[in-house]
Amino acid sequence: MRLDDRLLDFFNRPLMCIIAVADETRRPSAGRGVGFHLLEDGETIDVIFSAWQWPRLEPCVRQTGRIAVTFVSPSDYVSFQLKGTATMRDTETPDLDRADRFMTAATDELESLGVPRRLIAPWLTARDARVARLAISEIYIQTPGPLAGMLAGEQSAAKS
Amino acid sequence: MNLRLSDLSACFEGVIPSIIATASADGMPNISYLSHVMRVDEEHVALSNQFFAKTAANVRANPKITLILVDGFTGDQFLLDIGFVRSVDGGALFDKIARQLKASSAQVGMSDVMRLRSADVFRVYGIEKVLSPVETAPAMATRPPVRLPALSEAIKVIEQQAEADEIIDSLLGGVQSVLGYGNALVLIRDNHRGCLITTGSIGYERSGLGSEVAGSEGLIGAATTSGQTIKVSDMSRVRRFGEAIGLEAEGAENTSRTVAFPQLPTAMSQIAVPMTAGGTVMGVLFIESAERLAFREEDEAALEILAGQAASALRASEREAAAAELRPAVRMPEPVVSGQEVRVVHHRFDDSVFVDGTYIVKGVAGALLRLMLEWHLSDGRSEFTNREMRLAAGPRMPEIKDNLETRLLLLRRRLEEKQARMRLVRAGRGRVRMEAEGPLILDATVGDYR
Repeated sequence: MRLDDRLLDFFNRPLMCIIAVADETRRPSAGRGVGFHLLEDGETIDVIFSAWQWPRLEPCVRQTGRIAVTFVSPSDYVSFQLKGTATMRDTETPDLDRADRFMTAATDELESLGVPRRLIAPWLTARDARVARLAISEIYIQTPGPLAGMLAGEQSAAKS
Repeated sequence: MNLRLSDLSACFEGVIPSIIATASADGMPNISYLSHVMRVDEEHVALSNQFFAKTAANVRANPKITLILVDGFTGDQFLLDIGFVRSVDGGALFDKIARQLKASSAQVGMSDVMRLRSADVFRVYGIEKVLSPVETAPAMATRPPVRLPALSEAIKVIEQQAEADEIIDSLLGGVQSVLGYGNALVLIRDNHRGCLITTGSIGYERSGLGSEVAGSEGLIGAATTSGQTIKVSDMSRVRRFGEAIGLEAEGAENTSRTVAFPQLPTAMSQIAVPMTAGGTVMGVLFIESAERLAFREEDEAALEILAGQAASALRASEREAAAAELRPAVRMPEPVVSGQEVRVVHHRFDDSVFVDGTYIVKGVAGALLRLMLEWHLSDGRSEFTNREMRLAAGPRMPEIKDNLETRLLLLRRRLEEKQARMRLVRAGRGRVRMEAEGPLILDATVGDYR
């Protein structure tokens, strides 16, 4: 599944990110993402999270290799969920820069919407940053409303 | 430290969205935001079934679920391991969830969009506090708990009052002394006009006495029609209640015959507590605060106790006043009043009254003033019993049998507030005296539709 132009535009906005994984017993766990990087192929996204704050995420990815990530634009609730298989890759310096930019943009955006900064601070940290590389197989609209749950994105040439 | 659901009360206010993670039968995870999580008891939470089809399907295929809840006060996050138990689409629990959903939907301006069809109940197996990179504020530590002796004292004070004004004032006094809230209103229901009328007020720049709220409007209307306490804990995303009418200047009263609803421009929390006696909602206690999440669960309970006591006292006061009016008001020799005429204009179509060109009140209170003036002009007396007013106005306004006292109170307070050259004073149980600074003139023809 490939990100289309609409999705690429979406990823230029200030976003919040939430992540779900599941262990071998199908028990899900959840956490927040603090950054991302879209790869050139339009079918892969790196998602950054704190292993210190969300210690269950990395072991589950290593166990089952599956992940779901929802990005939301806080100002209008426009949301997309990406699902697929994931592997852990080493964290590099640019990942930390991406996380910094993501957290700053998200904090500013939420604050402009009336959420006090002291409330946001506990949610966003890149301490012990880890990167999960997600090969996108499904994209869903998750904006509340009639299109919720519909597929988005475009089938990539290789898969169609 | 073992966390309990009751420790997480600020997570259930609907201020910060919760997060739900599920997994399908084949183990593919799914994640979405969730607007409403409700605490059922110490071991169960309920989720309004508004969420997406995939989440709902996963919950049934694989009952293991993880939630992230966020304390709306401190920002602290909690991971909850929960398991699906059952769905409810009727009954007491469902009704409670539906009411909470309605109240918290109002926070994001979606109360019309969200209609609850069913709710899912989950058992909580574990609660874990998520590490925070910053020191968070101690949860709700800024205010001490409600002191029961103070509450008990406030209840006694309300109970000892016999007159409507004393009851309303002691209710507002109790709100201030027991809970420390500085901005509060008492609105009394007016079934005749299908609205609630501000009859008591503390803390506002303009008291707003006489201002009206439509019977179904906003938090106050919702509390009236549902008979349930309804609150908003974070106004930052909500259209200010009463915004439109609040902008009217006080000077506009004379042309609009509408008193502006009092405003606390910095309000972040609002609560509307129904004043119920004998199963009937008589009015609403409305409180605002500049604090986010100002109304904790225990504050809500204390306010409900105070409001219920005041409602019972008001009802008893009406009944006692009706029973105490055995001695009819007789014509007494009235001293001749000199001075400039006091001109009262009454418009029958809305029962609005103006004294010397200043708008005072409308509805039942306005009709009562006209009635007293007519008696004054025909019989020459200035003292009137509530009983004769009930008998005379009852056929046209049957509801006054239950709230004549509060209507007279509203009339009296508006005359005082507008510094009218006439006033009403109590002249013993169940009777009032009309006093004026000059001969009273009634002009009841202007704008009369009949």
